[in-house]
Amino acid sequence: MSQPRPITEGSTAHRVYRYVPWAIFAFIAITAPFWAAHTPAFSIGESTLTFSLGNLNHAVAYMVGVLGLGILVGYNGQISLGNSFFMGVGGYVTATLVTDDGWSFLATLVVVLPVCFVIGMLIGLPALRIKGLYLALTTLGLAAVFPSIVRMEQLRDRTGGANGKRIESDLDAPGWVPIEPIGDFLSSIPLVGEWAYGEGVSGREADAVWVYLLLAALTAAAFWVARNLIYSRPGRSIIAIRDNETGAAVNGVNVPMTKTLTFGFSAMLGGLSGTMYAMAIGFVAPDVFGINLAIFLIVGLVVGGVGTLSGAIIGGIVIVFVPVWSAQIESVPGVPERFLRGPTGLFILGVLLIVLTFFLPGGIVYGMRKIRARFVQIVPDRQVAGDDVVVATGDATGGKMSRHGGKTALDVDDDPTLPDDDPHEEQAKRILDRDDGAESAPVSAPAQQTNQGETT
Amino acid sequence: MTDATTSPAGSPASTGKPILQVSDVHAAYGMVRVLHGIDLEVRDGEVVVVLGANGAGKTTTMRAICGLVDTTGSIRLDGKEIVGKKSADVARLGVAHVPQGRGTFADLSVEDNLQVGAFVRKDKEIRSDIDRWYEVFPVLGERRQQQAGTLSGGEQQMLAVARALMGRPRLLLLDEPSLGLAPMIVQNVFRNLQSIREEFGTTMLVVEQNANLALGIADRGYVIEAGRIVLSGTADELSSDDAVRAAYLGY
Amino acid sequence: MELFLARLFDGLSSGATYAVIAVALVLIYKATTLINFAQGELAMLGSFFAYILAIEQGIPLYLAIVLAMLLSAVLAAGIERVLIRPFDPADHLPLVIITLGLFLVINAVAGMIWGFDPRSFPRMFPEGDVWSMGIARLRWYTVGTMATVLVLLVLLTLLLKKTKIGLAFRAVSSNLESSGLVGVRAGPTLQFGWMLATAVGTLAGALFVADPFRQLDPTWAQRVLIFAAAAAVLGGLDSLWGALAGGIILGLVESMVVGYVDWIPNQMGLAAAVVAIIIVLVIRPNGLFGSKAVERV
Ligand SMILES: Nc1ncnc2c1ncn2[C@@H]1O[C@H](COP(=O)(O)OP(=O)(O)O)[C@@H](O)[C@H]1O
Ligand SMILES: [Mg+2]
Repeated sequence: MSQPRPITEGSTAHRVYRYVPWAIFAFIAITAPFWAAHTPAFSIGESTLTFSLGNLNHAVAYMVGVLGLGILVGYNGQISLGNSFFMGVGGYVTATLVTDDGWSFLATLVVVLPVCFVIGMLIGLPALRIKGLYLALTTLGLAAVFPSIVRMEQLRDRTGGANGKRIESDLDAPGWVPIEPIGDFLSSIPLVGEWAYGEGVSGREADAVWVYLLLAALTAAAFWVARNLIYSRPGRSIIAIRDNETGAAVNGVNVPMTKTLTFGFSAMLGGLSGTMYAMAIGFVAPDVFGINLAIFLIVGLVVGGVGTLSGAIIGGIVIVFVPVWSAQIESVPGVPERFLRGPTGLFILGVLLIVLTFFLPGGIVYGMRKIRARFVQIVPDRQVAGDDVVVATGDATGGKMSRHGGKTALDVDDDPTLPDDDPHEEQAKRILDRDDGAESAPVSAPAQQTNQGETT
Repeated sequence: MTDATTSPAGSPASTGKPILQVSDVHAAYGMVRVLHGIDLEVRDGEVVVVLGANGAGKTTTMRAICGLVDTTGSIRLDGKEIVGKKSADVARLGVAHVPQGRGTFADLSVEDNLQVGAFVRKDKEIRSDIDRWYEVFPVLGERRQQQAGTLSGGEQQMLAVARALMGRPRLLLLDEPSLGLAPMIVQNVFRNLQSIREEFGTTMLVVEQNANLALGIADRGYVIEAGRIVLSGTADELSSDDAVRAAYLGY
Repeated sequence: MELFLARLFDGLSSGATYAVIAVALVLIYKATTLINFAQGELAMLGSFFAYILAIEQGIPLYLAIVLAMLLSAVLAAGIERVLIRPFDPADHLPLVIITLGLFLVINAVAGMIWGFDPRSFPRMFPEGDVWSMGIARLRWYTVGTMATVLVLLVLLTLLLKKTKIGLAFRAVSSNLESSGLVGVRAGPTLQFGWMLATAVGTLAGALFVADPFRQLDPTWAQRVLIFAAAAAVLGGLDSLWGALAGGIILGLVESMVVGYVDWIPNQMGLAAAVVAIIIVLVIRPNGLFGSKAVERV
């Protein structure tokens, strides 16, 4: 294997390396709806998979839900499965305020965000005493209860009962946003324009693109707030509790307050995600926000990467598109056709959950970082190197999953105690590995027991 | 104990064949290395004591023998290599371990604790062995249906020893049997160990802070410091060694 | 009075079935201090095994149920060995994720193989009532289920108290390290716990869908998992008889509250179960009958 190419921190090359991927990502994120508006299709064998803007909007809404769960589970270490409950609250509150009271979608956030924050804090209170598996159980119960709450007779006027509620309001693209010109411009790009973006967008397509842009803006705002939170002083407390609750308390972290507020914040993002779902789909129904969604959020979290923020983007896409695409698969060689008619999406998501936990517990984001580290290595600037490496040493071994005997050095990606990118972490790990003489394969997922005698 | 290694290695008091041979054993908890090359030997019928300050690695040595910690080096039981074996398999080879803190099955009854001590035995004498231990430790007999966790510290220690011996082990490992017990009770525990030794000829490796008592029932001993054996000899040699007297005997 | 008796009998009958699945949860909890989120789905799968064996293979119902229990136990042995054992039992998140993954996979596989059309499970007990008074009917089903649960618990208690494997199981659940030191192999013992729990779950599943008022489809266990978990928590999570008591209390509360308090709608039984879990865990973490402090870390 060739040596990774060294890049000095702060150099021009480093800046290019850091900002160019972001620019590409931003370009893709902004132009994706113009592409998806024509529902591009891919043929695999006899099946045709589509990429529709409706599904993309749905995925963007879920990204925020995964993000909220990730902060609670991945950064604060509280294993909660109940965030679908808050998504339900957000979705239904928005639906009823828009349909029954004529509010605009965004205005409903004034109610949704504080309500979810408060409910989240209230549920966070018992969570101070209920931990680990019991919290997972209790919150799964919460997720299971939501559909029966909105089915209640007494709430039927507002929730529509078992039939769900259609939202009688359209999000029309306002005139001042030049959606159609942008579409025209994109399709006029030489060579690829017409192939990728068709004839541009108009009418209903433009409205859907507008919804996408709104959702994307809300998502960007949510990620921005989450990132600032995690990289702030409170964020450090949040993570300290995950890594060692007693230690955090000893070091002056107000553990109950921090945990409760984190619960509230996570719930608030859940509510936002529910509102966004209502905007994207225009329809809410009881079983949308049940146990399955609760587990899907976990799938999204694990697939993207527990303890990362950016993983939520991948997670949202996966939990929407895997079921959609699996339903579109008409035939797989060697698999009887009747199996493909059933809930293949559930099946694939379940398998993903298990397989990733075994083989890539840091999720896709971690996998990508590993691959990248094979090609480039960021060399720290001499003057700052010393301190940072020491900080990173402590953290590089404390991943979120499978941390047995301090052996599994899962990356603490997006960790505020590290500088923005992760080179120090890589370097710290090399230092550790050299010390230990150990293999530098941190993702030996189901880590071997240190105490060989115990469970094998 | 600076000149410790220059002391003469003790000649074995007993000339039985070696049961346990530990050589160049290293052990670590995760990245924390604790043992740095331990060598020791226990011969058939011997009682060997391991002395050492808190944190020297005595417990870790015992855990290494039982396969409870990541270990490298060589540990032979009756000539057979056991490094890398699981604790259950080491136990099945005839090593019984009374861990530091006694390791009683707190929510099992006294009787069940003794039963589970004989888990690997297939013979018909389990019942009579249990009754014999009730005779040796009458207080256990009185509380046979009581949950072990409700016994006093001294009673639990006796239960732990009896449970270990229920397996009819080739080798008994005892980790600080006096820990947390009142001096009177400690005397009692050691008197019992002495009589067990006399009656059954059990081979023992005993870790003990109370060097006086331990050397009293032992044939030989080792002194461990910071994960290394720094001194070894017969019980008499150790009792008269100045450094040992200063550090462990207090006179 | 009639209404009260009717509620009482209803509550007993659903409570008994919650209790059996709760017993399965308790068995796995005792073995591994793990809550198996896939327990309900395993019971659902087991009830399909029994159905297929009885209806499609024509095997007598009781024999079919026993075979289904064995079949699901073998499956559980494989699951424990491949998916559970590699992980550190003290590290909860990966195990929660694995059992949730199993939840999805089992649910999906059942849907793919058998579809979602409801089927009616053969009757395990005679139709009709043992005794009735107006609308209050004590059905054979209720009596049969209760009797089965009692027999099951007696047998399990004997198995755990009187056999060598039961002793090993109790030793491992009491003190993992010490059990190794006396020569008990933890792996096979825990695997035995999974097999036992899953077989019990299959029986529970068969009992549940054998109610003439219920039908068999791949979704029945989702609600029941929460009730069973609530029953187990109420009973103390490590107590078999506590699970029975928890299940019956829950069944009674569900039928009495929902039956007598008009403004509480039918669906709120589930909410009551969740509230029960929260209250118990906050106020009395080792449940009403738990023998030792349930670890809450
Ligand atoms: N589980 C553990 N993890 C990390 N370090 C440990 C662990 N147990 C013991 N140690 C360390 O190993 C060293 C030796 O411990 P131990 O063998 O228990 O000593 P002793 O029994 O002689 O008092 C001590 O420094 C202790 O801090
Ligand atoms: Mg010790």
